[in-house]
Order: sequence, then structure tokens, then C-alpha cells
Amino acid sequence: MEKERKIKVLIAKPGLDGHDRGAKVLSFGLRDQGMEVIYTGRRQSAEQIVNSALQEDVDVVGLSILSGAHLTFFPKVVNLLRENDAGDMLVIGGGIIPDEHIPILKEKGVTEIFGPGTLIKDIGDFIRKNVRKIA
Amino acid sequence: MDNKDKLAEIKEKKEEWEEKALLPAAKRFGIEKRPTEFHTPLDIPDFDFLRDVGFPGQYPLTAASYPVNLVPRLEKGAKPGGLRRAGTYSGYGTPEDTRDYYRLMAKLMYTGGPNLALDLPTQCGYDSDNEIVEGEIGKVGVAVDTLRDFEVIFEAFTGNLDLDKIATNMTINAPANILVAMYVALAEKRGISLAKLKGTPQNDILKEFISRGTYIFPPRPSMRMFRDSLVFFTESLPAMNINGFGGAHIREGGATREQELAFTMANGIAYLQEGINAGLNIDAFAPRFSFVGFGGSMEFFKEIAFHRASRRMWAKILKERFGAKKSESMRIRSQYTAYSGISTTTKQRALNNLTRSVIGAVAGVLSGGPPLAFPPYDEPLGLGWSLEARQLAEDATRILMYETGMCDVLDPLAGSYYVESLTNEIEEAAWKELEKVEGIGGSVAAIENGYMQRSIAKSAAERQSRIEKREDIIVGVNCFTEEYELDVTTSKMVEHPYSEEKRYDAEKKQKANLAEVKRTRNNREVTRLLGELERAAKKDDENLMPLFVNLAREYATLQEQCDVLRGVFGEWQMDSFV
Amino acid sequence: MDNKDKLSEIKEKRKEWEEKVLMPSAKRFGIEKSPTEFYTPLDIADFDFERDVGFPGQYPFTPSAYPISLVPRIEKGAKPGGLKRAGTYSGYGTPEDTRDYYKQMAKIMYTGGPNLALDLPTQCGYDSDNETVEGEVGKVGVAIDTLRDFEVIYEAFTGEQDLDRIATNITISAAANILVAMYIALAEKRGINMAKLRCTPQNDILKEFVSRGTYIFPPRPSMRMFRDSVVFFTENLPGVNITSIGGYHIREGGATREQELAFSMAIGIAYLQEGVNAGVDIDAFAPKFTFNGFGGSMQLFKEVAFQRAARRMWAKILKERFGAKKQDSMRIRCPLSAHIGCSSTTKQRALNNLSRSVVGAIAGVLSGGSPMAFPPYDEPLGLGWSLEARQLAEDATRIVMYETGMCDVIDPLAGSYYVESLTNEIEDAAWKGLEKIEGIGGAVTAIENGYMQRECARSAAERQARIERREELIVGVNCFTEEYELDVTTSKIIEHPYSEEKRYDAEKKQKANLAEVKRTRNNREVTRLLKELESAAKKEDENLMPLFINLAREYATLQEQCDVLRGVFGEWQLDTFV
Repeated sequence: MEKERKIKVLIAKPGLDGHDRGAKVLSFGLRDQGMEVIYTGRRQSAEQIVNSALQEDVDVVGLSILSGAHLTFFPKVVNLLRENDAGDMLVIGGGIIPDEHIPILKEKGVTEIFGPGTLIKDIGDFIRKNVRKIA
Repeated sequence: MDNKDKLAEIKEKKEEWEEKALLPAAKRFGIEKRPTEFHTPLDIPDFDFLRDVGFPGQYPLTAASYPVNLVPRLEKGAKPGGLRRAGTYSGYGTPEDTRDYYRLMAKLMYTGGPNLALDLPTQCGYDSDNEIVEGEIGKVGVAVDTLRDFEVIFEAFTGNLDLDKIATNMTINAPANILVAMYVALAEKRGISLAKLKGTPQNDILKEFISRGTYIFPPRPSMRMFRDSLVFFTESLPAMNINGFGGAHIREGGATREQELAFTMANGIAYLQEGINAGLNIDAFAPRFSFVGFGGSMEFFKEIAFHRASRRMWAKILKERFGAKKSESMRIRSQYTAYSGISTTTKQRALNNLTRSVIGAVAGVLSGGPPLAFPPYDEPLGLGWSLEARQLAEDATRILMYETGMCDVLDPLAGSYYVESLTNEIEEAAWKELEKVEGIGGSVAAIENGYMQRSIAKSAAERQSRIEKREDIIVGVNCFTEEYELDVTTSKMVEHPYSEEKRYDAEKKQKANLAEVKRTRNNREVTRLLGELERAAKKDDENLMPLFVNLAREYATLQEQCDVLRGVFGEWQMDSFV
Repeated sequence: MDNKDKLSEIKEKRKEWEEKVLMPSAKRFGIEKSPTEFYTPLDIADFDFERDVGFPGQYPFTPSAYPISLVPRIEKGAKPGGLKRAGTYSGYGTPEDTRDYYKQMAKIMYTGGPNLALDLPTQCGYDSDNETVEGEVGKVGVAIDTLRDFEVIYEAFTGEQDLDRIATNITISAAANILVAMYIALAEKRGINMAKLRCTPQNDILKEFVSRGTYIFPPRPSMRMFRDSVVFFTENLPGVNITSIGGYHIREGGATREQELAFSMAIGIAYLQEGVNAGVDIDAFAPKFTFNGFGGSMQLFKEVAFQRAARRMWAKILKERFGAKKQDSMRIRCPLSAHIGCSSTTKQRALNNLSRSVVGAIAGVLSGGSPMAFPPYDEPLGLGWSLEARQLAEDATRIVMYETGMCDVIDPLAGSYYVESLTNEIEDAAWKGLEKIEGIGGAVTAIENGYMQRECARSAAERQARIERREELIVGVNCFTEEYELDVTTSKIIEHPYSEEKRYDAEKKQKANLAEVKRTRNNREVTRLLKELESAAKKEDENLMPLFINLAREYATLQEQCDVLRGVFGEWQLDTFV
């Protein structure tokens, strides 16, 4: 019998923002919940992120930005994934995101935005509930 | 090197530093007349840790009244929803309004016993149907005329919140015994034993003469009323506090820190003496004295030192003067220590009062107690605390309790040269002022001849003049008032739980309530008991408490009883003393 | 009785108190495993006032960096309108936007030199027309490509506010020298001698590797750039600070208090060593090191003790290790001391951040510095600070300064058993951490091999785990989150001075600005100078500052210069270290 595959998550920091505490903490936390986590490090372009996601065949792409460039980067990643037939990957975002921007991002295909103070437990629960069926 | 040599060396080094470092810097910044202070061991040369500080909850109680901090612990991993919100001072319009208010607040988890605010007619011994108090019914608090009104209010407190399970606070002084008697009668009707009643009537009449003003009878018969409660409570209401006294009102009335401390101690001595004169053992009743609060100002360190000084002073008075043996007798039992006070709030840019209350709450912890961010920021706006303001105040208190780690350590400033020397300074000044009061003949005499009232009026005037000369600074009031400063307010989210409409109708409704009581009660019995009260009042030895309970049972009104006593005791002649 | 006998008596009494008073009480409240702490002389048994505390502004600087408090006095009776509002970290969109913003802020008395926030492309050495940084131009700060952009921004600073009268702060590290060169070129064009310039570039590249992330070159060539500034500034820019270091960003990146102190001391040592290696006398340049801030958390007393420990540790390093003779070399020059840091704020019930910032401001004073209620409460909302939030923060700072009397005394906690012992504890732990780093080979090596980065990430993860287990509480985040709690917000009074529209257009406009510069400048000269830069960069001894100035004059872009250096120095390989 085939063993159930672990949920695979890519945590990425698009753009030049270097505040990586949240991204690293989330990487540790999801790993502790039994997921396989790949952290890209800082200064990733949307293309680089999507390439890593495709190469690693992840189930979830988590994007963290604190610099205000989320309206550019998040939709770009979603679109590139769709163009590469990976529109079923779950894309979630976090960082300093004004509330007014959340509906805009969701409309553009980001499934959920997690602001500061979110418990990693809750992010984990959300992923397990919404991730694509793992073959 | 022994301590003396050490101090001499520090002194030498300090002089050198003042000359070479401090003064040149102070000159450069133009503050050479009053450079920043710095305190060293030289400021407390005779300091003795065990004598001057000691351990928390132990004589001389400087460090703290209790050996542990009373902030409730949130157990690791536990859901803290179970923590009750603080019961707050409230009372609105008619008893029905107040009952409904408490029910609504319980839904928002503001639970626990009520801290009843009463309207001024009640506090001054008048009924709601008295024409001379028209317009004041149900303002600043709920109107209570008879037992019926308590019955209605306490409909919000049944089951898990029944009278044997909650503690009730009442801000009542001159007719405190009459209201406590109503509370006792209510308990009887519910079949609850007196011994199980918990609560605190303010019952601190002396400070009413000095500053707050809701007196009825002259000081001496007022003290006889106090004696009655002291004796009756000690014998029959073991879980009830005799009073909730303190100096906060005296300070708010304008007293300086030292005056407040001296006058409060003098008042406390007068109250204690009543118990002694009645033949009771000090350790039998002193532990049932509680304190509603001391102080209240923005002067952070002075407030902290003040609390340390007041605990030490009260302990010394109890131990040395009254020969108390039990630690509980010597302790200032108060839920709270330092805070910023009501009179420091400003109507201008009112949200800044949140900041002020946080400073007060931090001072609270540093003075050896739990934090209390109080009052809610809209206090000076005169519309009653909004739920928004209460939320901010409560969250501020919680932040201090649970995010700052401050409450892990008691009396964290113990040993600080500055705080220890300030503590000594304040205590010494208060002893001097207390001696003065005792020279006059004690609190009662010093009130009768107007000394205390004059003293605080003078201090209040001096403070006002410092503010006007901008020697004391108040942000948004006498400085930083330019037109480009913003008056930031909060958005209204929910309705105030007590509506304008209710406020408008309260007086009419309460008059109807009272008329109905008078129509249906046994008026003959009331008249008979009032006659009995008159006879008993004339005998100084007689304890009036049992009679008040009988009168409460028969729905005698507050004013009917007070009027009888006015006839016997007289009324306090208002004197302006300016 | 000598000190030793005294201590053994206290010890005995303490034991007795623990047994008879503390433990019974702790048991009653169910906290016997961790009863409230209380500190006594026993906790600082070897304490020596002169050695461990000393006097403000003198070695070992424990009480304070300066002999007096730097809070401006409001003279009695004086109108305090003259007090300037604090300049705040700001920069928006295009240089034109930022110029207009500063002009507008000056009208509401936010005056003084700018504290420039730069966008991330500028901080990372990219021009606005670079495709890879699309979406980031003018976000988080203003975009600077060439001297032209400084010319525009500083149109807001002329006359009374000309470059020889103001001090400019620039948050720039990797490309600091290039931006300072632009500032010098601007001054030249205005006929202002560079000796008169006052300015602080952040110029703290090592912490960028540890946490903040705006590095360009690898650590070693980055240190060569730092050396160039130490040498050039010391010789030519006596009014310009060399660097503004501090552990604040490291803490925000997740480090514990002790890690932060150890890492920033190790980083400071590395910078100092660059000056010494270049043959500059320690007392000639160490006084031009400044600090932008240490620490930042809600733990009031730990932050207070931390600042005292940091000052003492830095002083010891300068005196004992580098043989500094001047007091000015040993001092932590920093406008602020303790504060709460940005990462203590919550998006949930954001107005509570005002309460939090007040706690930080109090900690600031208690730690021997000036108060600063920071950041404005809407920091975590991501829309830039509203003027309403800034008003509240500023009023809070003023209240602490002028209503509380707190700033009259420096290091008011000196002597406190708790604070003195906590100071020792933190300092000891930091020395141990520092030894470890020196064992690895110092700050640069510990960054190259990822030690510091890993340590920070690990500590951040541990803290998050404590929060999720509710061992650490954050009000409104992991406790007190029931649906009946209110999220109180402020009403909007005025528009933010930087509009959404401008934000939207900034990138396009700045690209056009840059294209225009490239069209009109002397491109041949730029190419020639860039060649010169390349050959100079290859020679390790050469100081590149004069070349950067020449390039600035010719409107060479930031990225053109950085690209040349990237070619010679290489780029820092991003390492995730997770």
C-alpha cells in the first residue's frame, strides 16, 4: 500500500523585503506539524518562485511580504502558476497587508491572507482543509 | 571598608562628578538651577533593609500588603476566557434600569457582584418624591428609597450570582447603616444567613466632611453611626467589611500627597478608636477595615513611594499605637495601589486619558499591587463610560498583567536609592502633619473647626495657580494647544447600555415606584418603628442597626429614617471655610 | 554589624518568611510552583555602587549615557510652542512626493532635518528603471537614483533649514557611502562646506546579514566599504556620524535579549577594529559611532536592565579592550533607550498599541533615557502612520515627559535589588554569547557561516511556539479574543499627507525622472568615472569615497555604481539557513 505523501509547502519571500522572521518561523512551525517545507530565502522574483514550486511539485505556495509590494507580486505568482497548469496549487499570503487589499488579492486568486498574530496552528489547519487532494 | 568609609568615598566622588560632569552639562542645556537629579546611597545613609522594607505581607509591609501579587494567573495553555472582567462602579436611573444594565453587562462577561453607584438624594438621605431634590433623581447613580428598590436591582443577581456568592460594594456613607440594613433584609427574604453576606459599604463619613460632601449629620453623631456598624458588623456580619476608606477623595478634593496621607491616617485612627471605645479587641475588627484607594496623580514615582509610605505608616499605627498583634490588622487591604486618578483626566484631547491611565497602572504594579488602568478615557466627557472606553481601559490592564512580566516581582523598586528616600520623605512629612491634626484634637475636631477643609482648599488653589503659571504642565490644557494639534476620538461602535430615553424618564418612574410602596406597605408599623428609632437614637449607647433592619423589612423609606435622626442629631451646618 | 552579618541575618529572615508567609499564601492561590518573586540585598551580595553603577555620563555609564536627562525643559511660564515635534522616519514615492510631504509637515510643526526612509531598490542598490524591482519603487520609502533626487527632496530644506543647520538621517547601509557622497555633492552645489554637514547614515551592514536583509556585497568587501567611511568621515566630515548601530533590528528579527546584546557588541567590535586596523586612533573615531536603538519588547524591567547592561558592556569594551581614554568614546550615543519595538504591536485591536507604546515610553525613562511612545498605534495596519496615530503617540510622549515628573531623575531604579541583579544577569549572559562568537572568529565569520542567522531563526521559532502554547500571552491575539470584545478604532479626522493616488503613480513618474537624467547628463564622463571606480575597487587599500563624490556630481546612478562593485566584490549568496 502506498504511504500517504506529506503535504509539501514552499515558503517564499518575493521582492527585496528582507524581513524574514515570519517566513522562517512559519517554515519551522509547519515542519513541526509534519509538512515538508522548502524555504526559498529572500529576494525571489515571481518567476523564480514559480519555477521552484513546479520543480518541487509543491501543494502550497506561501508568500510573505512586509514592504507593500504584495499587489504586484501575489497576483503575478498566481498567474504564472495558472499558465503552467499548476492553478490547483494553494497560494496563501502573509505579512503587513492592509485589510482593504485582502478582497482584491482573493479576487486575483490568493486563497487566504494571514496577518500578524496568526497562530501557525491555524495556518496548518487551513492548509490541511484546503489543499488539493494528494494522490 | 565599612559602610561609613564607603559613604564618605561616594560623597567625594559625587562632588567631583557634580563639578566636572553634571554642572557643565547642565549649563550647556540651561538647567543649572535645577539639574536632573541622581540618587545614590548617600540619600539613604541609615537605610536598614529589614527595618525599612522587610518582606511582602510582613511588618512593616512597605514592600506589599500581601506576599504574592493578586493578579490572577493565566495557567499555561489554559483558555483565559474564564477570567471575569472587573466589576465597575455603576448605577443608572431607576432600580429597574440598573437591574437591566447589570443583566446586559453580564452577557458581555462583566460579571461578579455590583459596585453600586447611588444618586445624590440617596447619598444625602432624601427620598425620590422630595421636591427639593427634583432633577437629581437617578443622576450619578441609582435611586434607592426602600427595600423594594434593592429587591428590583438584585433580580439581576440570583442563582450563581446570589447574595451568598457575590460581594456587593456600595458607595454610601452617611446613611450606610440604613442601606446595609436593607441588604440584610433582602438576604433574609431570600433565606440567606447574615454570616454569608460579603460586601463593602464605603462608610467613610469623615472624608465626606473634608471633601466629597455627602454628609447629613454633624461629625460626632456620624461617628456614633460608625461605631454602630463597627460593633454590629463585628458581631453579626463577619464577612462584611466595616468600611472602604482612603484618601483618594481627599486628594481629588485638592489635598497634597502629604496632607492626604496625614488626614487619612488621622481618620483611620478616629475610626479605630471608636472600636476600642466600644470595648472591642483591635484584632477583632481592624482586619475588617478595607481601603478604597489612596492617592491618584500623574507623579509616577511620588505615587509609588506614597503607597510604600502609607503601608508602613498604617502598620506602625496599628502595631505601635493600637497594640495590634495580627498581621491582618496592620495591612492596608486594598484591591489596588497607585493609579492616575480622576482629576488628572482632561476633557481636551480626551483619548490621551488612556495614556494617563496606563501610566497610573504601571505605577500600580511598581507600588506593590496589581495594575488598574482607570478611569476609562471618556470619564471627563460626562456621558457615562462608553463600552469602547471600557474596552481600551480593560485591555490596557490586561496588557500590563500578561504581556510585560511586571507582575512577576513584588515591590520591584525595593532598594532603589531614589524610591527609598522618597518613601522616607513622604512618610516623615505625613507624620508631621498628623501630629498637627492630633494637636488640634484629632480628625473630628480638625473637621469641626474647618482645619482640614481649609488646608485642602488652599492646596487646590495653589495647584491651580501653578497650572495657570505653567509650572505644572497638562498636555492639551496649558501647553501643546496649537491649532494644528488633533483631537483624536474613537468611532462609536455600540450603543451605551443606558439610553438617553431611560435617563429622561427615570425621575417620574421612580416617584411612581415609591408612591406604590407607600400605598401598599403597613404604614402603622412604619410609624411605630420610627418612633422607636427616635427613642433609641437619643440614647448614645444604643446600637441602631437592629432597628434599621426592622424598618427595612417594613419598607420604611431612607428619608423617613434620616429625618428622625436629623431631629435627634441635627444637621451638619455647611461651612465654606474659605 | 558588618555587611556579611547583615546578609546572613536577611537570609535567615527570608527563609522564615518563605516558609511561614509566602508559601501558605502561594498555595492558597495555586501558584506555589512559581510564587511572585521578591528581591533583597541577597540578590546583589557583591554589589559595589561605584564599580557597578557610578555616576550618570561617566564610566561605566550604567545609570545613563549623559549626566542629565535630554528631555527639553519647558521653562516656567514659557510657551512651549517652540518645542519642535520629533522628526520621524518618512519618505514616500518620488522625490517630489517626499519634498511636498516634508513641506506640508513643517506647516504643522513637524520640523527639523529629515529622517529619510528609502525604498527597497535604493537600499539594495537597484535603479527605479530596473525591471526586476517593478512594484517596489517608492514603497516603504522614497526612491533615490541620482543626485537629482536629493536636489528635489532638499528643496524642502533651505534658508533656516539649510544643510548646515539641520541634521539628516538616512536609513541606508549597503550603499551608505554612495548616498553620503550624493549628500556631499548637494552641499557643494549649495556652497556649503562639507565640514559643516551633520548627518547620520545608518551604515550598519552586518545586522543586515543577520536580520534586516538589505545587503548587496558579501560581508568582507562590505567591511571594506565601512572602513572607507570610518577613514573618510574622520578626516573630512567631523559633523557626520560614522554609523548608527544597535541591536534593535536583530531583536525584531527574533533574537533573544541576550543574543541581541552579544551580537551587537560583536558587530560593534568588528566596526571598531576596522578603524584601528586603518591606523586611526580609537578616540578619534569612536565618539562618532552612534546607536539607533537597542532592544524592544513588552518586558518592562528586562528592557530597563538590558539598557543598563548594554551601556556598561560597551564602556568596558571600549576602555578595556580598545584602550579608549575619552569618555565620549565609551558612551552609547543614542537618542532613545528602552522601548517596545515594532514587533510588539498587534493588528488585532490595534488601538491597544497606544497602551503598549506608553509602557515602552515609561521603560525608556526608567532605563536612563528619554521617553518615546513608539510606534504610532496603526503601525501593523500597513497603511503608513496616520496623523491621528502620530498625534496620540506624540501626546503620550509629552505626557510622560511633562506630567509625570519622571524625567527629573536619572536612573531612578539605581540600587533596586531586582534591577541591579537583572542588569548583572543580562550582562553576564551577553558576555558568554560574545565569547562564543569570538571563538568562531568574530562577527564577520559568524555571519559567513550562518551562526547568527540560525540562532535568530531558532529563537524566533521558540517564541512563536510559546505563544501558540499560551505560555506567552498577547492580549487580543492568543487570549481575551471572545466575540464580545470590541475592536475600538479612531475616527478619521484628516487625510494622510501622502495620498493613494500619488502612491499609485510613483513608479511611473520616477522612471521618467531617471530617463530624463540619463538623457541630459555627460554620459561619457560617467562611463569614464565608472571605469576609474572599477580599478580603484580592485585595490583593497584605496578609499572609494572621493570617487563616489565625483560620480555623484556627474549624476551617475546608484545602480551603475553598485553594478561595478558587484563585478569586483561579488554578491552575497542568499543563504536560507533554515
